[in-house]
Order: sequence, then structure tokens, then C-alpha cells
Amino acid sequence: MITIQDVHKWFGKLHVLKGIDLKVTEGEVLVLIGASGSGKSTLLRCINGLERVQQGQVSVAGIDIQTSKTNLNRARQQIGIVFQQFNLFLHMTVLKNIMISPLKVKKVAQQEAKETALKLLQRIGIPEKANVYPDQLSGGQQQRVAIARALAMQPQVMLFDEPTSALDPEMIKEVLDLMRELAEENMTMVVVTHEMGFAREVADRIAFMDDGVIVELGKPQQFFENPQHKRTQQFIQRVLQA
Amino acid sequence: MTPKAVRGYDYRAVKLVMRAVLVTAFGGFIAVKLYDVLAQHYTFRWGLVWHQLPAFNEGLIITLEASGIGMLLGVVLGLIVALMRLSPFALFRDMGTLYVQTLRNIPSLIFIIFMYFGISRALLPRGANVGFMDNRLFWGSLALGLFEASFISEIFRAGIQSISKTQMEASRSMGMSYWQAMRYVILPQAFRIITPPMTGELIALVKESALLLVISLPELTWTAKDLGHQRPLQFEFYTILAAYYLAITVPISIISHLLEHRFNVHRRRA
Repeated sequence: MITIQDVHKWFGKLHVLKGIDLKVTEGEVLVLIGASGSGKSTLLRCINGLERVQQGQVSVAGIDIQTSKTNLNRARQQIGIVFQQFNLFLHMTVLKNIMISPLKVKKVAQQEAKETALKLLQRIGIPEKANVYPDQLSGGQQQRVAIARALAMQPQVMLFDEPTSALDPEMIKEVLDLMRELAEENMTMVVVTHEMGFAREVADRIAFMDDGVIVELGKPQQFFENPQHKRTQQFIQRVLQA
Repeated sequence: MTPKAVRGYDYRAVKLVMRAVLVTAFGGFIAVKLYDVLAQHYTFRWGLVWHQLPAFNEGLIITLEASGIGMLLGVVLGLIVALMRLSPFALFRDMGTLYVQTLRNIPSLIFIIFMYFGISRALLPRGANVGFMDNRLFWGSLALGLFEASFISEIFRAGIQSISKTQMEASRSMGMSYWQAMRYVILPQAFRIITPPMTGELIALVKESALLLVISLPELTWTAKDLGHQRPLQFEFYTILAAYYLAITVPISIISHLLEHRFNVHRRRA
């Protein structure tokens, strides 16, 4: 579903991605772990073309993301992304937030878009908030709306960029539960997170990034109990102590 | 069940009315005193000016026309220039900057004179009849719109830049084009933020339309000056003139205030 080949990315002189190779198969949940600045968010943003790479290739559902010939607007309809800061549209009601892209990008009929949006709101458990503005929601609710907004486009892939890092502890669970449901429905997901419990439980594979390279890639059990690389061992040790 | 809130609301209303009465009384008192002092030297002949109001009304229409066209041009061109200055293409950015820095740094009076006496005449083929090129309303509104666009573009630019970049990223990530994101996400939010400064600029535009008297466009100020040449009633004429301008600008302020209020009902954070 997602193929990343020898990707290099520089910000000015800073070499942030140093030759990434990665394959994510259909229905797989891949969790990206690593310290801040290791390049995991940048890698995620390369998958939907928010960042351009200087070398290498990224393809999603057979579409080459990083060549200028690709119609990115069309490609991105297949790729949902959820951000740390939710990034809901503050001037629109919750319902409108979910409807806007199906309406304007996919040109879905008003009635159909509304029905889909209402169903999604039902699903994330806040149908009564349809006509409320985002700033009247809790952080957890906002993030769930952001997920619903991405799902409304019926993407083939969902990317999550630290979706729970800006949330109060008691709201993290409601967002993770929703993501867990998505995983059970065989959504292809790439998740950047610091939630080790989620990684261990939900991930099919975990990729550990350090200084712009993937140093370890494997099943959760192997990753947590028998890490091969020295950096991974240090990381796991620190995380488990905390 | 909430007597306290109701009482609180009433109290605020009463306070507002009291303030309005106080201000009116104080202002009125000063005005009357001033008027008395002036009346010791000058005989007010208000009776003689009332039948000049039709002339003022004609001037009002021209002021409204010039300001209206100027606003339309200023806002549309201002938005275009702002988008150019925010463009990813350096050439557009530079052209936008050139426009703003040139127009904003020429005195508006001189720009009006330059447009009407300079450009319009220079465009005329040698020996041709002045004709259309002498349309003062056209050249006046054009000058007004062109230089106001430079100020208005800066208001648009600041407004658009104040919307977090992540709003654009989120829109683009869902497959919207740059223009769709601008239209549905960025601009609607920017418009809310720029309502107050934009109002100020549009009021300034109306006031600056008075400068068009230098090209003898018979707008309000030209009318007052012209009438003053015919009869020695300058005080009366210019008082009426000021009242006419207030009659245009105060409603603009009120509309802006109402718009702001409407935006804020549902959106407390800007």
C-alpha cells in the first residue's frame, strides 16, 4: 500500500531523513517510534506530500507522491492525516468540518455528504455536537472530529502525527480507542506516537527511528522484549523506567 | 431562575443609557457654549442655507459614486495584490511589493493630480478631442481605488498571515487545491480578523474622496467650496459638509460593529 524507497530529506543543510526504506502492506498498522527530532513526523509528512523529498521515492496505492507530475490534490484524497493540534477549521461547525472536503473536493451531493457526516459523528459518539463550533469541544472530542473529518474522504490510508500528544491524560483513551477500532477494521495506518501501550497492543510492526534512519523494524513483542539495536535497547529501557 | 443574571443585564443597559445621556449632554453643552462665543462675532444665517441642500445632495451622490467605485476597486485589487505578495513565486511577490511600496509612498493628492492631469492627457492621441479622457469621476475613482488598494492589500496580507499555516496544511491534506483552501478555509477566517482595520481604511477612503476637488469633480467638498464662493456663508456650508460626511462614515462604522458582533457570537477565539 505504501512504499518508501531510499528517501533523503534535507532542511537547508540539516539532513533529517537519511535513506529510508519502508513498506506498509494493506491493512497493516505501522507505528513509528523515536526521540524528538529523529525524523518520524517528517517521514509521515513525506507520505502525503506535505514535505518534498530531495531524493528517493514514495508511492501510496500505486501513486507516485514525490514526482511533480502527480496530481497531489487527487492523491491526497486517498490519504487521511490527523495532526497533533487537530487543525479543525475554527469558523465551521463540527458537521461542516466533516462535510467540506467531500462537498468541495469530491463534489458529493449536499444530502449525501450530510448523511455521511452524521453517521461518522454517531460513530465517534458525539452526534449531539453536530452544530457546535470546535472551540466548544474538549481536546479529545476535537481530535475525534479530526479523525472523522479525515475518514469522510474514505481514504485508503490513515496517517497519525502524534494524535494524543496535545491531549490531557484523561482524553487520550477515547482517541486511542477510536484508532484501535479503525485498526480492527483493517484500515492501513501509519502512526507516530509516544503511546507505548498502544504500540505494543495495536501495531503489526514497529519502526524505531533514530537520527534520520530506521534502526529497527519488527513485531511489537520482539521490539519490546528482545530489541537488537543498541539505541533501541536504551530507548526501551528509558521508556520502561518512566 | 436566574434573577441575578437578569438584574445584571438590566444594570448594564441602564449604565449604557446613562453614559449616552451624559456624553450627549456634555457634548451639547460645549457646542452651545462655543456657538454663543462665535455668535458674538458672526451672524449665523441658517435660514439662507437650507435651500442649498439639493446642491449638497448632488454632491453627496458623486461622493458616494466615487467612494463606491474606489472601494470596489480597492478591495478587489487589494486582495489580488495581497495574494501576489503571499505567492510562492518570487516574481509575483516582487511585483506586489513594488506596487505597494510605490503607491503607498506617494501623497494621495499628488497621485490624483498625476492621474487626471498626467495620465489621462498622456493617453490622448495627439490632436484628439478630450472627450472620454475628461471623465473626472472615472479618473478620480480610479486614482482613489488604485492607491487605496496598496493600503487594503496590507490589511489583507496581515489578516491572511495571522491564520495559522496549519489550517492551510490541513486543507491541502484533504485534497483541496490552494485556491479551494484559500476560499473555504483561510479567507473566511481572515475576513473576521480584518473587519476592524478594513472599516478604518474604507472610512479613510470616503474622507480622502474629498481630495478629488482638486480635479474639480463636483463632489461634496467641491460643492461646499463652490457655494462658499457664491455666498459668504462658509461656516454654515462647512458645518453641513461635515454632517454629510458623518452621515456616510458613521453607518459604515455601525455595520462593521454589527458584523464583528455576529462573527463573535459563535467564535470567541480569534
